[in-house]
Amino acid sequence: MSLYIAAALLSAIAFVLVGPMSVRLARVPWVTQSPRAAVALWQSVGLSAALATMGAGLCVAVERFHAGFIGGVSDLFDGLVDGHPLSGLGLPDALGLTLAADLGVVVLGVAISVIVRTAKARARHRRLLSLVSTDEPRPSGTVMLDHASAVAYCLPGLRPRIVISKGTMGLLGSDELAAVVAHERGHAIERHGLVMLPLTGVADLFRWVPYARVAPKAVAGLLEMAADDHAARHHDPRSLARALVSMATSSITPSCAFAIASGAVPQRVHRLLNEGRSSKRVACLAALAAGAVLAIPLSLMVAL
Amino acid sequence: MAGLGQLERKVMDVLWDSMDEPLTGRQVADRLPDRAYTTVLTILERLRHKHLVERTAAGKVHRFAAVASRETYMAELMVEALGSARDRSAVLVRFAETVSAREASVLREALEALSEGSDGSST
Repeated sequence: MSLYIAAALLSAIAFVLVGPMSVRLARVPWVTQSPRAAVALWQSVGLSAALATMGAGLCVAVERFHAGFIGGVSDLFDGLVDGHPLSGLGLPDALGLTLAADLGVVVLGVAISVIVRTAKARARHRRLLSLVSTDEPRPSGTVMLDHASAVAYCLPGLRPRIVISKGTMGLLGSDELAAVVAHERGHAIERHGLVMLPLTGVADLFRWVPYARVAPKAVAGLLEMAADDHAARHHDPRSLARALVSMATSSITPSCAFAIASGAVPQRVHRLLNEGRSSKRVACLAALAAGAVLAIPLSLMVAL
Repeated sequence: MAGLGQLERKVMDVLWDSMDEPLTGRQVADRLPDRAYTTVLTILERLRHKHLVERTAAGKVHRFAAVASRETYMAELMVEALGSARDRSAVLVRFAETVSAREASVLREALEALSEGSDGSST
């Protein structure tokens, strides 16, 4: 019976993680004091919930072996290897096994499809960039687009591209431009594209789960702050703040822009202008929380 | 690799300059005097494979044309960069998203306070 209780506990953990806890985490202000650790916390919440859900399914499926979780799972694998994995399987066992296996397969499938789709979109973007970019003078290590709108972005990949437009060059002073390029370099060096990748996949698939709705946006905002911190190490944070305001207000398009407007820009400006931008204590707390969130379901499974 | 990229760009430039009239491989090669005809043909095939160039056959002659204008591709990049594309986050990480009009005015105030602050400290 104890594995059924474990299954219930694991389900409850997964539910709390992707539900109330995610909603809460998206609202707490202190995480901005250590964006990197906060991103790790978001990642461990997602990973932990996935492990707990699969663990719950497995618990139900291996209860019949009466050998605990680890012993039961190894018995299940022995059965798989011997070619009769489903012998003696009752309805709850089958349901549990299906849940665990399905979740595993679905997550793997989505991961592959997201990776392929993203890689294709990036390859096309990179190809078009190499065809239409201009050779005019520009900050070193960047690609320039001859376009009047002010944009600056990082195209992630094996060799990330930092793209700025002619409009950006015209809009910003040299200090500001250097800070913006350093910000984008931060995205490239810290491989933020790889951090967003799994979240994009999750957002598509589990739209009814609060985590999938709030995590991508929250993490995107945190990654911007992490890149801001990177730039602020070598440049005046006030230059970056000025650039941020100029860029964000340069292309206000009244009706449709509201849909994609987010609170991240005002928050980032505020953050850059404050001295207490980052806190070691918050970083330690968030890292500890990330470890604990992962450890709870894992230790539960091992202990049984 | 960088050399090939440069060459693809030159070939596309030739085709973009002649959007109204598809060119034969020979005509493209003639406009790139420092490149061999066979090299140009290889590049044209590569670009066709990437769906950037299309080939039409008129009799025995193959003619090549850009699938879309330079401006169209530029627009595609800018749409992704300024992005309402839903999976934009998968493609790139952008410096600053557009803000609402109200946020803009708050930000401008913050900016003014900032420049006043720096003036104060410098005097």
